[in-house]
Amino acid sequence: MKKLTITIPTGRLKDEVLELLSRLLSTPLALPSRQLVIENASLPWRIILSHPKDVATYVEHGVADLGCVGKDILLERENEVYELLDLCIGKCVMVLAGPENTKIEDLLQREHLRIATKYPRFTRRYIQERGIHADIVALYGSIELAPAIGLADGIVDLVSTGRTLRENRLHVLEEIIPISTRLVANHVSIKTKTREIEEFTKALEEVICNEDCPKTGWKS
Amino acid sequence: MKDVYPWEAKIRRNIEMRLRELFERWGYAEVEPPTLEYYALFEKTMNEEMKERIYKFLNRDGKLVCLRPEFTTSVARMCSRESSPLPLRVYYSGKVFRYPSSPFRTESEFTQVGLECVGRGGPSKDAEVIALAILALKETEIQNFEVDLSHAGIFRGILESLPLSPSQKEEVKKAMKRRDFTTLQGLCKDSNFPSPLRTLLPRFPFLRGKRDLLENLAPLFPENEKWQKAIQELLDTWAILEDFELSEYLSVNIGLVRDFDYYTGIIFEGFSPQVGYPLLAGGRYDELFQIFGKDLPACGFAIFLERILEALEKGFSWKKERYSPPVLFYPPLFRKRVFRFAKYIRDQGIPLVLEESEKEGFTLTTAYGSFAFEELEEEVFERLLKGEGL
Repeated sequence: MKKLTITIPTGRLKDEVLELLSRLLSTPLALPSRQLVIENASLPWRIILSHPKDVATYVEHGVADLGCVGKDILLERENEVYELLDLCIGKCVMVLAGPENTKIEDLLQREHLRIATKYPRFTRRYIQERGIHADIVALYGSIELAPAIGLADGIVDLVSTGRTLRENRLHVLEEIIPISTRLVANHVSIKTKTREIEEFTKALEEVICNEDCPKTGWKS
Repeated sequence: MKDVYPWEAKIRRNIEMRLRELFERWGYAEVEPPTLEYYALFEKTMNEEMKERIYKFLNRDGKLVCLRPEFTTSVARMCSRESSPLPLRVYYSGKVFRYPSSPFRTESEFTQVGLECVGRGGPSKDAEVIALAILALKETEIQNFEVDLSHAGIFRGILESLPLSPSQKEEVKKAMKRRDFTTLQGLCKDSNFPSPLRTLLPRFPFLRGKRDLLENLAPLFPENEKWQKAIQELLDTWAILEDFELSEYLSVNIGLVRDFDYYTGIIFEGFSPQVGYPLLAGGRYDELFQIFGKDLPACGFAIFLERILEALEKGFSWKKERYSPPVLFYPPLFRKRVFRFAKYIRDQGIPLVLEESEKEGFTLTTAYGSFAFEELEEEVFERLLKGEGL
């Protein structure tokens, strides 16, 4: 058996991913707090911790065989990787949102529509497909603030509970696509370590709480 | 954008030369399509995503021209004009240009060395092309490379047989092309999905094995003509490659997806665990010539030279030494004799740089050290330059 290298995102998702891996091992998996590359004989995998946005890049370039990455990042970056499994964690929805008192029709009728987002490429594709004319304001954070301070008319962003939206007097105008964490694999690894990746994927599939998984289906 | 320095240029040229020699030994002749092409040519053969990545601009007449994004289409056009006897065996080597696939990438210029076998179809030609792909990778001295084999008819056959609406089929196709198996799993949960495919399609990336995998897959869809034909062609090709004694490098990989839409038959990809991207790719494209008004089957592949270099660099560390040829410093008075001597040396294939010097006497700098002489001692110089009698 060849040892697999797995990239895990730091931050909010780390604990949830570790919880899944612990279930796989049937023993709690604790990682040393400051180490970013964890390689020890007692672990069946080599683990790399990386910024959530970098996970798919690591996998794409083949420095890791597998990675756990948010679908929002895959949609924005369009990394060339195999998407193998929905881990059913880190769930939220990518939405178009606007001020409380506006309806989607009002927004779309604006002559000069501006949309603020952390996902400029995804948003461009979305407004093209939707046939909307809009300028995109690319921001790094506090997207919800943009309409209140007059930077944009609406936002495209991730929403989980909707609380942040409400606090900023915004509401969802359209749900664009459900988001969750996915298992991705490198193009070459899936060929050179086919059996290992298949077994890992299968085992992981069995420990995922299936009731948490939405039944994804046809768009049309 | 990337500069290539002497130490790397030498290795590149060397690999390229060995590939050329290999292809010529198999009777392939070199062709060179233009760098600048009419965009209309690729308009018909490329998919939307690839079209967006082409460098296009207007020429003086207001016609849309582009930098070639690949060779196969241009070579097909050249071959459809040619009236030589078939099959035509041609190879090419040069740069192709594409905008990076995303703003997070920078490469836009790649070197492709590849070949096409035009005018005959069938497993014997497929096997010849795949054999050459394997031998080409061997020639580059890459360690532990492998070549994966599949067939465009497998997925086409499946797609055709699905009891789904055209827009649903398009969704399946799109997910497959993006290698998005999470979406495919979701689609397969649909009750309209016929039973073996429901579980088989999401497993596609893991359907990799040797010849016996094909034998196991054949009976799954006995009624599906495209599927049966694809499996049979793969089996026949495999048998020939076994006779070439090359099957140790081969695997069947049903989950293989190629980026170009023009493939109709066998498709294949070469890779090495050292690099995360394929090193070569190719396949059979029997319908491409129809856009040039001909009905010619063809099969070919291209090697991505930069990726080969990346794999080699990771395999063993190169000495990135500066190129320093031998130099002879001479007083101008002796110019004529020195020039004659230098010609004699260079004619033997030994590099020599001449530098006029204000000093009296001669200095010869070689890889082994620097030597000073009062006279032009041609025989001693020659021996030093040849590295003899040190």
